[in-house]
Amino acid sequence: MAKRTRRESTKPQVRSVYHEWIHIADQVIAEKEAEPRPDNWQQLALEWCTSNEAERSALASYIATYHKKLGVEWARDMLRLEVFLQANHHCAIITHYKRALRAYPRCALIEAWVVGHILRYDGEIWQAREMCLNAAAELPTLAAPFYELGFIHYLLGDFAGALEHFNQAAMRVTAEEAEQAARIFYNRAIMQLALTNDKQAAIAGITEALHYKPDYAQAKEALHALKHTWRWFQW
Amino acid sequence: MVDNPLGLQLQTCWLPTRASIERLMLMKIEFWLNQPNQNKRSISEIVWATGDIRQALAELPPIVPLKVRRQIERLLQPWPQGRYTPAYHRSGGILNLFTPQWGETQDEVWNKMLAEWHAQTFPDDQTRYAARAELEQRWNNTPHPFLSGLTPAQVMVGGGKQEAKLADKFLTYLEKFYNETEFESEGDMLIKTLMFLRSWQLQPLSNGQTPQQIILAERTELLNRRARILAERA
Repeated sequence: MAKRTRRESTKPQVRSVYHEWIHIADQVIAEKEAEPRPDNWQQLALEWCTSNEAERSALASYIATYHKKLGVEWARDMLRLEVFLQANHHCAIITHYKRALRAYPRCALIEAWVVGHILRYDGEIWQAREMCLNAAAELPTLAAPFYELGFIHYLLGDFAGALEHFNQAAMRVTAEEAEQAARIFYNRAIMQLALTNDKQAAIAGITEALHYKPDYAQAKEALHALKHTWRWFQW
Repeated sequence: MVDNPLGLQLQTCWLPTRASIERLMLMKIEFWLNQPNQNKRSISEIVWATGDIRQALAELPPIVPLKVRRQIERLLQPWPQGRYTPAYHRSGGILNLFTPQWGETQDEVWNKMLAEWHAQTFPDDQTRYAARAELEQRWNNTPHPFLSGLTPAQVMVGGGKQEAKLADKFLTYLEKFYNETEFESEGDMLIKTLMFLRSWQLQPLSNGQTPQQIILAERTELLNRRARILAERA
């Protein structure tokens, strides 16, 4: 009888890569002396993961609602997510969200943070759209979910829907979020141009984008094209 | 010696996802069904005029695989009297080639229309059903945000000669542009392809019209022709 050769599954390999990422994230967390404990896990999560008052308030509200289902392990998972987000490691962000954070009660803020990666790295347009709609409903003051919805509708070829969402994002974005504001105003101008062919309105919109980010190369190029021989340009 | 003018064409193209390969095949069949043949009528037009799918299928060259024959048979079926639900399973042409699959459950436009209809009160069942029928026709002819702004009727009719040419050109550009590019993931490939497509469809051509305008106008014209042929038949 022939001896059966043992084939190695790819699953343990994937797991080991994920565990390697977790190990690295834990090292970063240890270096920063941010070990979550029963007496500090809420504070650590709030301090590490939020970058403005709106986010802080949304996360505090989530913790208050679900504190019995959360705890030290959740805080550690949040800190790991923050390490992956800082490193902009798409694959680690998505894997960690799917394997660890989705096990906890749904959090619109976490979804707002990871949705861009799910959209751009995984190409999961419908899942991303659903997450954005939820985030937009739960956190109506945040600009990011509306921006992502605008982008998704652009990808779907629904330019009117895209413009509508970019308008919503433009109403919510703050001066502190200059990078995002520049993208919102630029994309809104491009959608206005697509729908109305109004060059002057587009020039005004792109100028506004450049106000937030003066070195925005794409916006500069588009502005030049609009003022001279205009062609469509890639985002 | 070859006595049959039928030739095979081999075409290669770069596509971002497996799903778009399937959709491309369907799109090509839809284009082909709308191509006028020697007697200046397309297969679709012959079927609309006669109502006879078997005749159209009988004229297919024997080399056409069974799977393709089945797809052709499905595409040539009479359209529903009410809502054009088969539109969910059509390609939607080049503008929808890369859109990930979606279906009735995700159709927010229809679900919203239906919810409004449910919320209304009607004096009797007849009025209620008439309102529902009117609603279905409205959905058929309303540009859909998930169909790149095409109406379900425009999706049902398929693309014509001009769209076929534009699609070929676009796929050639796509291959030239992205064939050597390295992507981070399949998702990255899909998103960048969609961005390339949306940029292309808005780019005015030498005649001043954009591919999107040409495609929409041609599909509307095909719908008008279908309406005329069906009226003649009646």
